Amino acid sequence: MVTEERELETVDLNINMGPQHPSTHGVFRMVLTIDGEVVTDVEPHIGYMHRGGEKLSENMDFRQAIGYQDRTDYLAQFLNEQAYCMAVEKLLGLEVPERSEYIRIILCELNRITSHFMFAGAFGIDLGFFGTSFTYGFREREFIQDIFEEVSGDRLMYGYFRPGGVVWDVPDNFVQRVREVLPKSKQGIKDLDLLLTDNEIFVARSRGVGVISGDDAIDWGLSGPMLRASGVAWDLRKDRSYSIYNRFDFDIPVGDYGDVYDRYLVRMEEMRQSIRIVEQALEQLPDGPILPEKMPRKLRAPASEVYAAVEGARGEYGIYVVSKGGDKPYRLKIRSPSFCNLSALKTMTVGNYVADAVAILGSVDIVLCDVDR
Amino acid sequence: MIGILKSLYVTFSATLRKPVTIQYPTEHREVPQRDRAFPILLWDKEIDEPFCTGCHACERACPVECMTVTMRDNPKHADGTSKRRKIIDQFWIDYGRCMRCNICVEVCNFEAISMNNTWAGHELSRFDRNDLVIDLDQLLSQHKKGQIQEWVAD
Amino acid sequence: MSYTISNAWLDALVGMIVIVLLMTLVVLALIYLERKIAGRIQMRLGPMRVGPHGTLQTLADAIKLIGKEDLRPRSADRWAFELAVFAIFVPAFLAFVAIPFTREWAVSFLDLGLFYVIAVTSLSFIGFLMAGWGSDNKYALLGGLRAAAQLISYEVPMVLSLVAVAMITGSLNLSEIVEFQGRVPLFVWQPLALFIFIAASLAELERQPFDIPTAESEVVGGPFIEYSGIRWSMFFLTSYANLFIYSLLGAAVFLGGWNWPLGEEVGWGLQVALMFVKTSFFIVFLIWFRFAMPRLRIDQLMSFCWKLLIPFAFLQIFLNGLVLVYEWPDGLLFVTSAAGLALLSYIIYRTVSVAPRRVRLVPANPGRATAPAAAEAGG
Repeated sequence: MVTEERELETVDLNINMGPQHPSTHGVFRMVLTIDGEVVTDVEPHIGYMHRGGEKLSENMDFRQAIGYQDRTDYLAQFLNEQAYCMAVEKLLGLEVPERSEYIRIILCELNRITSHFMFAGAFGIDLGFFGTSFTYGFREREFIQDIFEEVSGDRLMYGYFRPGGVVWDVPDNFVQRVREVLPKSKQGIKDLDLLLTDNEIFVARSRGVGVISGDDAIDWGLSGPMLRASGVAWDLRKDRSYSIYNRFDFDIPVGDYGDVYDRYLVRMEEMRQSIRIVEQALEQLPDGPILPEKMPRKLRAPASEVYAAVEGARGEYGIYVVSKGGDKPYRLKIRSPSFCNLSALKTMTVGNYVADAVAILGSVDIVLCDVDR
Repeated sequence: MIGILKSLYVTFSATLRKPVTIQYPTEHREVPQRDRAFPILLWDKEIDEPFCTGCHACERACPVECMTVTMRDNPKHADGTSKRRKIIDQFWIDYGRCMRCNICVEVCNFEAISMNNTWAGHELSRFDRNDLVIDLDQLLSQHKKGQIQEWVAD
Repeated sequence: MSYTISNAWLDALVGMIVIVLLMTLVVLALIYLERKIAGRIQMRLGPMRVGPHGTLQTLADAIKLIGKEDLRPRSADRWAFELAVFAIFVPAFLAFVAIPFTREWAVSFLDLGLFYVIAVTSLSFIGFLMAGWGSDNKYALLGGLRAAAQLISYEVPMVLSLVAVAMITGSLNLSEIVEFQGRVPLFVWQPLALFIFIAASLAELERQPFDIPTAESEVVGGPFIEYSGIRWSMFFLTSYANLFIYSLLGAAVFLGGWNWPLGEEVGWGLQVALMFVKTSFFIVFLIWFRFAMPRLRIDQLMSFCWKLLIPFAFLQIFLNGLVLVYEWPDGLLFVTSAAGLALLSYIIYRTVSVAPRRVRLVPANPGRATAPAAAEAGG
């Protein structure tokens, strides 16, 4: 009897990590094609959070449109407002007084710290911690958010910056409050560090997973911690220095391997560097006005276009404004970092396990309102 | 093994700390003075009328167009008790559309509108969305009762 | 039971009622305890509103779950779907039969007690497969297959570590194992076996770091996705019943049960208290571990079992065999086992941690331009 060898016929399974899922950060749909446990194809579906923000901003004048900028990347709001204000100031030729610049820098860097705390918390949950890393990260975030509430009045949608400066001055105890909070943040970073960084299981889950090389990262248009983790030392605060960042002494963390663990380490180190910047800025904070003296009552722009970008918590957040005269922008385009970072998802995920797909998505650190605007 | 022991250590040391959560409906946190809940109108106690004259400045400045304002002649001006020629007639704010951006407070020439900075401004849940449209009497009621801490931005 | 009831059937009935009552109460208390401990680890309060300090929370949850609609997907395989619950639920209760609580009292003193417990607890994996297949859902299938692979694999080191213990005590009867530990508990003689037992029981219980089947953030709920209401609550209770069973087993076999350190002469109250304390030691440790660890990936989990735990379990048996056959002094048992444990830790350490990786720092403003003099100290 002759038995012939036959290949076992298999079919790849299509799994839908649907819009409602505990670990896709927001409404994001990923259709994975898996072969056993290995992912062979990823198809992301976005657009669930699209609210037409760029179109809405065309109907608002330059002061009203600040409200929408809070609502794109809702974890790093001050950085978004900074980008918008920089764009409008360039357009109108406004000069920001020194005190406002320092206040903006302090609040932006504190906001970067809160955003990375949120990342560390959510990333722990993606890897399986079941709540512990989340509460540790959020406890520290709450202390800083209390300062934000005292300064601007709101816990999440600040609307505090205006083209030309900030809307009102910080309260009198601002410097003292920030100085109180910084040691707590350092303690929080240390807690998360002890919990996550050296944990062997955490390391085994994230080392060597989701690797993207430096050249590929530049090709895909990544920016922010994802680009820096792949070895490219590019940070807008250093290379296209804006505002008064050239007055501070800080370092840019750069990784070597481009995997998930490196991205996590880069973000943890960025938190420490942000604390350095805040400490230096607090010492240098001058007195003075917060809005320019020749502040026009109504902001009318000449017919021109301008692009301004900041180093947001997730990457390069840019605003491109086209004005045809008048007090409303003709076109406001938002270059969102999460959208560009997410485009590299397939390159990073194919070939890894299903469990790694979740870890990689967590390490990209997307905010869906930023992806969809 | 060391990393696992570090994680165990930090979770153990967290059990010795005081919990950071409080039981919300029974205890309330302090809200700071600048807290922005929802806009309310202010009542001029000396003359016994609202500060608001119905000038439509906030209605025009609102990014989401959540207010409706009408004005009328002020009977007290004819008496001579008040300097305001016009006074607010009807004022509706749709709290469901308001995004609490504070622009209406900035543009007001009379300092007649302010953000509610108490807990009552936050606890406004209703069962029906249409109940969130607040009219003039409700907007004035809290300041009339003296429940708002006033402050001035410098 | 040592006080005999004349009718064997009545005896069995009383035993059954005792098991069901005790297990239900214990499981309700365990769920509450886990939520409270989780709350303290995460620096929050845990359940507080239902009853004084939230003690009636589990009861409220049970009432809510009973009141829920009982769904069954139309294309689900009916018998597999509905019977899966029982296939998982019943073995946990059966295992309770052979555990001795005091010298006089167990539901039944079985000569093959250890063998019986292992055999019965390993039946539950069938239920996972039935649930995964019968739900007609891809996530459930994935979770069910993962569960089956994990449970079958980790049976082996569990059994082997208990066999190593049985070799020393020379008996499979759980009461005799407890009586053997009059002066020195078995974890002193066999630390390696204790470690393997804890790791394997974490995997059998499907708790972090081995909770792949019900990985909350990937396959949400694993094989139990399509279950709701009382069926789901039976699964949930089973996992806590299993926690109780394994902790009882660990306390009886490794920590000395009701015997060590007070001996056999004390009254039954103290014996029950001792047993309770040792069991809660295991329970608290397992709960603590759950909230402090992430989860392993499926291939890492499997290689941990087959490449690390099983060879070391065999090594433990081999060393025990050497010591017992050649009648070397008993202290050598401790020495060899501790050496084995040290070797295992070393291998884990070497496998997982390479040099700690840190990122390199590139200064942002080298040769910084004008900075006001006050900022000389910087950060």
